[in-house]
Amino acid sequence: MNFRTTGIIISREYLNKVRKKSFLITTFLVPVLFAALCIVPSIIMVASKEDAKKVAVIDDSGIVMPTLSDSETVCFSDFYGRDLDSVKTALESLGIDAVLYVSAIEAENKTVQADIFSVKPLGVTLSENLNNRINKAVESYRVDSYGIEGLADIMKDVKADIKLHSYTIDEEGKENISESEVYMIVSLILGMIIYMFITLFGASVMSSVIEEKSSRVVEILISSVKTTELMFGKIIGMALVALTQFFLWIVLTSVIVGVVGAVSGNSLLGGQNPAEMLQTVGGVDAGQAEAIAGAVSEPGELSMIISTLSNLNFGQILFCFVVFFVFGYMLYASFFAAIGSASENEADSQQLQIPLTIPLLIAFFIAFYAFKAPDSAVVFWGSMIPFTSPIVMLARLPFGVPVWEIALSLVLLVATFALCAWISAKIYRVGILMFGKKSTWKDLWKWFRQK
Amino acid sequence: MSIIQTIGLCKSFGEKLALDGVSLSIPENGIFGMLGPNGAGKTTLIRIINRITIPSSGEVLFSGRPITQRDVEKIGYLPEERGLYRKMKVGDQALYLARLKGMSQYDARMGLKEWFERFGIESWWDKKVEELSKGMAQKVQFIITVVHKPSLMILDEPFSGFDPVNADIIRKEILRLRDEGATIVLSTHDMASVEELCDEIALVNKGKLVITGRVDDIRRRYGNNNVELVYTDADGCHTQVLLRDTDGASTLRTFLDKGVQINSYKELMPRMNDIFINLVKGDESNSQDENLTSEGEEHNSKGEEQL
Repeated sequence: MNFRTTGIIISREYLNKVRKKSFLITTFLVPVLFAALCIVPSIIMVASKEDAKKVAVIDDSGIVMPTLSDSETVCFSDFYGRDLDSVKTALESLGIDAVLYVSAIEAENKTVQADIFSVKPLGVTLSENLNNRINKAVESYRVDSYGIEGLADIMKDVKADIKLHSYTIDEEGKENISESEVYMIVSLILGMIIYMFITLFGASVMSSVIEEKSSRVVEILISSVKTTELMFGKIIGMALVALTQFFLWIVLTSVIVGVVGAVSGNSLLGGQNPAEMLQTVGGVDAGQAEAIAGAVSEPGELSMIISTLSNLNFGQILFCFVVFFVFGYMLYASFFAAIGSASENEADSQQLQIPLTIPLLIAFFIAFYAFKAPDSAVVFWGSMIPFTSPIVMLARLPFGVPVWEIALSLVLLVATFALCAWISAKIYRVGILMFGKKSTWKDLWKWFRQK
Repeated sequence: MSIIQTIGLCKSFGEKLALDGVSLSIPENGIFGMLGPNGAGKTTLIRIINRITIPSSGEVLFSGRPITQRDVEKIGYLPEERGLYRKMKVGDQALYLARLKGMSQYDARMGLKEWFERFGIESWWDKKVEELSKGMAQKVQFIITVVHKPSLMILDEPFSGFDPVNADIIRKEILRLRDEGATIVLSTHDMASVEELCDEIALVNKGKLVITGRVDDIRRRYGNNNVELVYTDADGCHTQVLLRDTDGASTLRTFLDKGVQINSYKELMPRMNDIFINLVKGDESNSQDENLTSEGEEHNSKGEEQL
């Protein structure tokens, strides 16, 4: 291999991609989004605390109103005896946001009917909140209706409310507070980023190969350099682009979060209910949010998250991310390059790509399983088999992986990469000059065996 | 001394034999025509010389020794299927490709400047290739082929896509490069430019070398030594073809004795076009000694005038 020409190819691939508008936009926009993800929920929370909704209540049952108490987000006023229809039509002039109507108790099945009317739609949180309270009121009415003395207390007594605290024990036997939910999120993020990077940049290599082939510039290129130099120059150039992007993301995100944090004071970043925060972020539905946040919603929840995060070995995670990304990416990128060499346009490549996207997707699903059962067999083997290991190993990492397993997985990955790169280079060498007919995997096999 | 010598080159793609024992020699400093019908194996041969394709068997010698990867820096190749990066600027692209041919950044920039000035296209430097017309892109591509001062240039259909004015500019540049000592391999279907430019040719058909040698020799070999005599007498201008077994001297004397004015007396040489067609067709019917007839219409040849 000629290092001079390979270097020239790497630098062209790198500069060409880095100067593209799409690269600049994603590089600078994603940290803003990351930062927004951390900051905006707090801002929204602070901003939305101001306006408590005013709800008028016409309670014909007489059991609901006593349980309703004002809170920061809602305040109730008793409109008992007023006509529902007249209140409904005069909501704005009365200065209320909504009117809640609870029917009289139906004696037969001990239930009530509840309706709420408002001009503007009510928030999900508010209506769920109201629903819960009405249910509770009806439950306690039913409990009372049995006429058993002390039943309410018995019910309360029976209900268990235990929070499981988990700790990890390090080598010195020191106990560290660990919240598996935090690990789960870190694991999810790592698995997702590496999956995204491999897919996106692998596909980038492929379209770059297709571009050269369809514009026919490739024949001039390979009259100057060897096909292996061209292929690896391209793959390495793109890897450097990916690493540049990754490090810029880390640096920019921390700068933005740091600056905003310093300007607004730390109050923005802490001290609010994580369940609400997760819900506001929007990615997590309410039930899940409760589950995640429920675990950490005790006093000092934020300090618990921070202490869990600080238990993570960031040096190891960063090192593994870079190494597993580089080799995992190169493994796939070399196949993507071979497929690109067999296609004259992106549409042709779709069919050939399927065998590549399947292991990637499988890896992604195993990674999702990793936080449920980090030491299960499927996850262990997923983190060993080279085609899934970059993604699964990264997802496993926050839960702690023995060094020998990381080393073994890496050795397998590098060896497989070397083998696959050799196969791909052989296919690429022939495919890049094949024009005219749509290629199939059978053709690729033929090219591989061609001397 | 030959710059390129191929010894028994064979190349098969699966079942198909694209080249079958081609041995030829391309002499240094001259223009060598690589002829053959479509699908004859020319491109495969050219790609093997360029080290793009590896031969199944046989050998290529560059200046008398086996060719190496470093030698490709001394070769300039203009493929038949032209192509440049559409989204890349002309200047950046030319610099990149020149550096891949072993030039330093500085030399490449200087060399390209010179060529851009020669063609009067300095203003294209910062344009993207997709903004250029096809002819403009061809010019850029020609520059890229020759900027690194290769001692061997392989030009596949260099005039296609050019208007007559620009084709002439390229023709003159090719001749100038030859005069400066370069060897040019010209692959073309345009037989007129073969007759005009080439010193030697090789004709390939169905992967085999059909004929190679000097253009003049080949034309004479496939001619029938007929002579065309043009004279003017009292009735006007006449043309008469003298068959090869005619005694030229005495016939001429008879005419002179009649007192007519002799306008020209020249050997009729077959056009390359006809030689090409006959050789290829003859190859197909496996009878290579088919009579070549072309006398009568010869007006454009380089045939020596003998009077």
